[in-house]
Amino acid sequence: MIEEIIVSGRMNPEIDPYLHVWGWEIPFYLFIGGLVAGILFFSALYTIRGKENEYPSAVKIAPMFTPILLGLGLSALLLDLSHKLYFWQLYTNIRWESPMSWGAWTLMIIYPLTIVWSALWVKDVFPKWNWRYQWLEETIETIRQYKRQMAWILMVLSIILGMYTGILLSAFNARPFWNTAILGPLFLTSGLSAGAALIMLLSKTTKEKHLFARIDLMLIGTELFLIIHLFMGLLAGTQVHIEAAKLFLGGEFTNSFWIFVVFGGLIFPATLEILELRKIKIPHYISAILVLFGSLALRFIVVDAGQASRWLY
Amino acid sequence: MKTKYMNPYLAGVLLGLVLLSAFYFTGRGLGASGAVKSMVVTAVETVAPEHTADSGFYSKYAGDGKNPMKSWLVFEVLGVLVGGFLSGALAGRLKLKVEHHPNITSKKRLILAGIGGILFGYGSQLGRGCTSGSALTGMAVLSLAGFVTMMAIFGTAFALAYFFRRNWI
Repeated sequence: MIEEIIVSGRMNPEIDPYLHVWGWEIPFYLFIGGLVAGILFFSALYTIRGKENEYPSAVKIAPMFTPILLGLGLSALLLDLSHKLYFWQLYTNIRWESPMSWGAWTLMIIYPLTIVWSALWVKDVFPKWNWRYQWLEETIETIRQYKRQMAWILMVLSIILGMYTGILLSAFNARPFWNTAILGPLFLTSGLSAGAALIMLLSKTTKEKHLFARIDLMLIGTELFLIIHLFMGLLAGTQVHIEAAKLFLGGEFTNSFWIFVVFGGLIFPATLEILELRKIKIPHYISAILVLFGSLALRFIVVDAGQASRWLY
Repeated sequence: MKTKYMNPYLAGVLLGLVLLSAFYFTGRGLGASGAVKSMVVTAVETVAPEHTADSGFYSKYAGDGKNPMKSWLVFEVLGVLVGGFLSGALAGRLKLKVEHHPNITSKKRLILAGIGGILFGYGSQLGRGCTSGSALTGMAVLSLAGFVTMMAIFGTAFALAYFFRRNWI
């Protein structure tokens, strides 16, 4: 028999040096959350500005994907839970100081709203659609009269949703790489950019494509600025924060982050969008797909790197 | 319609400067077949890990926590794709098409190019490098093998072109 002395809990497997408990589910969900937030934000924004018919893909078509996307994201989240049947306990209280509680309640409100919001546009997108039940048709018509008010609610909720996907990580003090206030705005911007990219993929008119290419360019610029600040902040912090930043500045995440997220997901698609706006023929779906891929890669790398960063050396 | 291509002499000088900057920034030369090799090794390792461990060739690059995709050449070739895409876009040649002489069909061109590619890939592994990795980079560091590779590749092509020319013109 092998005698062992337990000196510390850190000798347990998977605690130290690498706390790897989050697999693909969490980053995938964070990406979907950001993407849905982005789509809803632009749909609501252009509804409020009364441009439903000018930008139909943004206002009417893209939001129809949101209930499906959210369903996929939430399924991934459920898969990650150890006690799947107890998820409802999140809804037994409201905790203002917990990002989990914020997220759970925001999703509770936003999910049904995405279904109603999509239903409002079904007849615009599919003119031959028949709701079958008179009461359903009438209800939808009644809600349609309040679409601007609903758009305002959706816009606020989408910002909370996009922001919370980052705050969820940054509230986790035990992992120095996540423990920075930049993650909230960074994930929000990245989610808005992914939303704009999906709208670009769906849109059929050059006017709409170019509008969202310009919006996306602005968001990419903001994202680059936030990424620089993320590292400035970490490098100006304590030794553990400096070590966390070093994972990206020569450490194991250097190649994947700078090549796939910063270059492949931001700088290269931005270059293509600039060329497109200057009337050079480039298939618009390439930059859109690259932005979506970069946004997904950002979540995966940040979730992985956060789990690899630690306080004790 | 006349398409825009760069003057080949100018492009050659620029390629030389690319090689120089690759040495400066990464300490490594250029290469192409190495990236394909990494992909092949990764594919074989995924499908048949035992075979990879047994084989003298594959086991050099895979197993023991080695990741064949984490190599300079793989990233370099990704960069080649990006650069080629941009240059095609700027020259207005961004179209999906098979370029071939009017006397032969697209199908013939694709099949022969496929066979040629396989032979070249096989040869590059026997000769420890292709036109970029062995000839271009090798000659830049004045390696004798580089000059031999260059003469072998272009000499053979020059000598045999007469017999095969009907396949592409």
